[in-house]
Amino acid sequence: MSSNDDKPITARRFMEELRRYQRGSVTRRHFLGVTGLGAAMAVLGSAVPALKPRAAYAFGDLGDTLAFTTWPNYFNQKNIDDFTALTGVNVQISVFGSNEEMLAKLQAGGTGWDVFVPTNYTISTYNKLGLIDALDTAKLPNYDPASQESRFTGEATIDGKLYAVPKDWGTTGYVINTEKVTGDMTSWKQFWDRTMDDLSGRVMVHDYQLTTIGNALKYFGYSFNSVDPGELKQAEDLLIKAKPHLFAINSDYQPSMRNGDAWMSVCWTGDASQLHRDIPAMRYVLGSEGGEIWTDFYAIPKDAPHKEAAYVFVNFMLDPFVNAREVQAHGYPSTDSKTNALLPDKILNDPILYPAKDLLSKLEFGAAATLTDPLRAEIMARFKSA
Amino acid sequence: MRWYAALIYAFLYLPIALIVIFSFNSGRYAMDWEGFSLSWYATAFANPLAVKALWTSLTIAAVTAVLASILGTLAALGLERVTPRVRRSFDAAIYIAVMVPGVVIGIATLIAFVTVFDAVNPVLANLLGTAAPKFTMGLPTVIAAHVMFNLAVVVLIVRARLAGMDKSLLEASADLYATPFGTFRQVMLPLLMPAILASLLLSFTFSFEDFIIAFFVAGPNVTLPIYIYSSIRRGITPEINAIGTVVLAVSFTLLILAQYLLRERAPRA
Amino acid sequence: MTAATRSRIGTAAMVAPAALFFIVLLVLPLVVVLVYSFGLRAPAGGYQPGFTLDNYLNLPARAAAFLNTITLAPLGTLVTVLIAYPLAYFLAVKVSPRWRTLLLVLVIVPFWASQLLRIYAWMMILGNRGIPSLLFAAGLGDIRLLNTPFAVLLGMVYGYLPLMVFPIYVSLEKLDRRLLEASADLGASPFRTFLQVTLPLSLPGVATGSMLVFILLMGEFIIPAFLGGGKVFFIGNALVDLFLQSRNWPFGAAVSVALVAIMLVVIVIYMRFILGRSGTRRMVLS
Repeated sequence: MSSNDDKPITARRFMEELRRYQRGSVTRRHFLGVTGLGAAMAVLGSAVPALKPRAAYAFGDLGDTLAFTTWPNYFNQKNIDDFTALTGVNVQISVFGSNEEMLAKLQAGGTGWDVFVPTNYTISTYNKLGLIDALDTAKLPNYDPASQESRFTGEATIDGKLYAVPKDWGTTGYVINTEKVTGDMTSWKQFWDRTMDDLSGRVMVHDYQLTTIGNALKYFGYSFNSVDPGELKQAEDLLIKAKPHLFAINSDYQPSMRNGDAWMSVCWTGDASQLHRDIPAMRYVLGSEGGEIWTDFYAIPKDAPHKEAAYVFVNFMLDPFVNAREVQAHGYPSTDSKTNALLPDKILNDPILYPAKDLLSKLEFGAAATLTDPLRAEIMARFKSA
Repeated sequence: MRWYAALIYAFLYLPIALIVIFSFNSGRYAMDWEGFSLSWYATAFANPLAVKALWTSLTIAAVTAVLASILGTLAALGLERVTPRVRRSFDAAIYIAVMVPGVVIGIATLIAFVTVFDAVNPVLANLLGTAAPKFTMGLPTVIAAHVMFNLAVVVLIVRARLAGMDKSLLEASADLYATPFGTFRQVMLPLLMPAILASLLLSFTFSFEDFIIAFFVAGPNVTLPIYIYSSIRRGITPEINAIGTVVLAVSFTLLILAQYLLRERAPRA
Repeated sequence: MTAATRSRIGTAAMVAPAALFFIVLLVLPLVVVLVYSFGLRAPAGGYQPGFTLDNYLNLPARAAAFLNTITLAPLGTLVTVLIAYPLAYFLAVKVSPRWRTLLLVLVIVPFWASQLLRIYAWMMILGNRGIPSLLFAAGLGDIRLLNTPFAVLLGMVYGYLPLMVFPIYVSLEKLDRRLLEASADLGASPFRTFLQVTLPLSLPGVATGSMLVFILLMGEFIIPAFLGGGKVFFIGNALVDLFLQSRNWPFGAAVSVALVAIMLVVIVIYMRFILGRSGTRRMVLS
């Protein structure tokens, strides 16, 4: 991942020295001598406001671990390392494949998670089930509603209270390997038709009801979020007809796309930009019929064992400098204009991250009802077991 | 025959060879060979999460193996002397323990634990105030779930050994006024040793390999299989292969060492 | 205190810890499963107390997964026996004792490289750049192996071969070689000797190994998930889905109960009719 293009060299140098000091490979005297602590802290403070030591978070009362649950390929290891170097808190990362899985584990209880990353349409359910608490914004000085694009953040506010803070946003389209997939691909209709035709055996869909059923609904021009039994029946028939032609039903499509086993897959923004970065022949397509637009959030479970550390972590990740490094690594656009200000034009003009307006306007945010709808869950199960 | 065996060994070792070879790959992706390098070994051991996952798994597996072997051996011995009814209920428990899929054990154990903890924690907090221990999911809960499963295996192994044992030896020992404990230590234990060693080895392996039970009951702890599972999702890097290779190399060394030690002792026996 | 009482207390002390584990970690969770299986799916997913038989009546909705499992698990067991037997025979009868231990240990060593890593290696071998590319180069056309029932079967055999080799080896190793010689001296062909002497003696091992492998295959979900690409669907996968994706826990509980019931029935039939006649039942149960 791109960890070498971090901007302020002084801050980076400082972090390296700090790590060396903490590892014990240099003495405190050397550390202070090399960095000139006071000056360095000033530099660091201006570059990375989140790193400014605050009395409220005198490092040490945070505990030594933090359990962070997120999605695959969704963070910059360098940020995690810096957080640990600064606070002494080790970040234990686990990754999940669907919002349903995260919800199931929180519902069962005993997760020990401190911070997790839910998608927009699930937050109201977490709130209703009492699995998350309203956030104490005083502990999140880096969260500035004014610099956040409001259409991406609305679903985190319930009854005037903030339950989660935005991480990034993205779209769900599909990725094609243009060395193998010829012709102009622009729609979901083409996606499904060619799956059952010349691309048979080379296509992947997510193991995730929202996007798989949603994009099958799009074939017929229905809403991505439909819970109408008649429309869902048509989507199910399409899925079952297409199933023998699929390479796999799996949300982890990067390895298979890279390996050449799969030539086309339902795909999220960042995976497409990561794939495109390494293999230029990979192209991202947003179906002309529409599809999903979404926001992912940081949230803190109600029974998080390390709440203080969780707040410090979320606040750290919200820092524009840190967040910009995140975007450069995972390739999902930020919701925060302060972060965007730090990003190079190459990213800000990337059509994978920022699709054309006419494509964007047709996209729908996932609806809360799809998460809990028993029919959609059952259709997904029938599709997989067929 | 010989060729057939060679073919089967090739089948068994083909994936292992791949794991080892690609641990020396300098590239980022497991299957794109880009040249020889040891850098992923350095990466693996500098990665606190990977190292911690390995230690977590080793701890769980070691504690599980010891506990399951001791308790299982004791139970197998005790079961020789209980009434048929007690033995039958034990048999049922053993077979069901082996038969219930890990997924079900995992989720059911999680729900049972959470329910019990939610009931117990407030009571403890009321009684003891802030000093009260708070039960949560963690290493002890994984170990407990693993011990349960492996107990069944150990009891089966030890009983198989007991079944083929000459009981007259024990009687002879008792007739010669040996204390029960003396009989146990001097007659029983040596006879049971192979079964106990097999139990230790098997329970260690089962516990070290388990993904699904730990996935549910480990709380926020990441075991090595959970770490590998996450890595597979992210597109595996040779780092994981390096860890796998080290585990293999250590087990191989221990085996050869054991083999050597046992051979040294053999003539004297 | 009499000696009898003391001995009874001793026995109780030996059995009690194991019994406690079984009660707390097996019986209690299984009671949870049983209670859940009669409950309701909460509106947002999960469990809601209640009493209904719907979850059991709904079992046919997973008929395809049950069918897949109940065909592939016995098939996998059978193929594993067929492949394991000659190897076990070779190890027990043909190999010189000097090499025997080493070769035996070599059968289990692959087990210590994580199961997940080995499956991932198979994904590579069966994937686009592995065997299919060799087959293509050999002019055999575009053959797909990964994410097929064949790949799942191969994974199952690979994963459980050692568990089959060992019990068969143990039963064959006890075989008195003089029996074989006597049989040969009496003019029996090697094949007849095998059929009439070796095979019957090794049956207990075959039975133990088969049962073990069969039981584990019935609950398997990782091999079909990774080598079947989510397209070869076992009951184990259905369970993971029901608990983690659709979050219909009561139905998941009912499917679990049904799975265990099916296994019990299969195993009882197996013991009664197959083992009962050959007189090996007692040895399997040991």
